[in-house]
Amino acid sequence: MSDPTQLKFLVVDDFSTMRRIVRGLLKEMGCNDVTESEDGAAALQLLKVQRFDFVVTDINMPNMNGFELLKAIKAEETLRHLPVLMVTAEARKEDIVLAAQSGAAGYIVKPFSKATLEEKVQRILQKMAIAA
Amino acid sequence: MKLNDWPMAPAVAAPEVYQQLGQITRQLHDTLQRLGVMPKLQHSAQNLPDARSRLSYIARKTGEAADRVLTAVEQAKREHDAIQAASKQLARRCGADPARLLPASEVLAYAVAVEGAATRIDQQLTDIMLAQDFHDLTGQVVAKVVSVVIDLEDSLVQLLRQAAPGEPVPAAAAAPALLHGPVVAAVASADVVSDQGEVDDLLASLGF
Repeated sequence: MSDPTQLKFLVVDDFSTMRRIVRGLLKEMGCNDVTESEDGAAALQLLKVQRFDFVVTDINMPNMNGFELLKAIKAEETLRHLPVLMVTAEARKEDIVLAAQSGAAGYIVKPFSKATLEEKVQRILQKMAIAA
Repeated sequence: MKLNDWPMAPAVAAPEVYQQLGQITRQLHDTLQRLGVMPKLQHSAQNLPDARSRLSYIARKTGEAADRVLTAVEQAKREHDAIQAASKQLARRCGADPARLLPASEVLAYAVAVEGAATRIDQQLTDIMLAQDFHDLTGQVVAKVVSVVIDLEDSLVQLLRQAAPGEPVPAAAAAPALLHGPVVAAVASADVVSDQGEVDDLLASLGF
C-alpha cells in the first residue's frame, strides 16, 4: 500500500487546469492510474461504482464542495477507509481544523510544489501502512 | 483680462449653497434609508476595496505566471541549443571519417551532457505546468469579484425600481454562494495561513 505507483487515484477539482496539473505531478511520481472528476457530487457517484485507493480533492467547488465530499466519504462504510488529501486555496485556519476534524488525511494550500504533493502522498501512505 | 478681474461669487452666498447642498444630501440619505436601499448599497460599496484588492491579485498572479513560464522556456531553449550544438559537432566528427571510431570517452561525455540537459528540461517543463495554477487561483478570485458586482447591480436595480416604480427594470442576477478562496492580501492575518509550513504546524499541533 505504501507504493503510490500501484494505486488508483481520484482527482477532484472544478478547474480542469488544476486537475491536469495534479494528474501530471502524479504521473511524474509514477502514478499512472488517475481518474478526474469535476465536483464532489460527480466524485461520490464514481466512488460508489469504482474502486479507488486515494482521493485528492479541492474544497471550493459547485454542487458538492470538498468538505461535503469528505463527510460523505467518511459517512459511507465502504469508503471511509479511503485517504482524502485536500488541495485547496482555502487558507483559513478554521478550514484546516475542520478538514482535520472531518477526517482528512492531509491538507495542501495552493499554490504548491511537486515536492509538497509527493511528500504528503508518501507520508499518508506510510501512516496507513503503520496503522494497518 | 487678468485673473483677478474674473467675477467672483459673493462671499455671502457660499454658506447658503453649502447649507442647501447639505440639506439635499441629508434628504437623499433619509430617502434611501426609508427605501431600505442604503444598507445594501453601503455593503456593496464596502466590498469595492476588496474587489480592487482581488483584481490586483489577479494582475500579480498572471504576471508572475507569465514570468515563470518565460524564464523556464528561456532556460529550456538554452539547454536545447546546447544539445543541438553538441549533436551537430558529434555528427560532423563522425561524418569526417566514417571508418574511424570516436573515442568512448567522447561519446560518454556527450551522453552524460544530454542526460543532464534532459533532466533539467524536464524540471523546466514541470515548472511550466505548475505555473498554470494561476488559472484556478485567479478563476476563484474572479468569481468573487463577479459576486460583488452582482450585489452592487442588485442594489442599483432596487434603487431604480423604487425611484421609478412604473418603469420596467431588469432583474439582477443572483450572486453564487462562494467560500473565501485564495488569500489575496499580502498582509499577515491571525486566522489565515500564509504557506504550507504553517498548515503543517497547525495540523501537527492538532496531533495530525
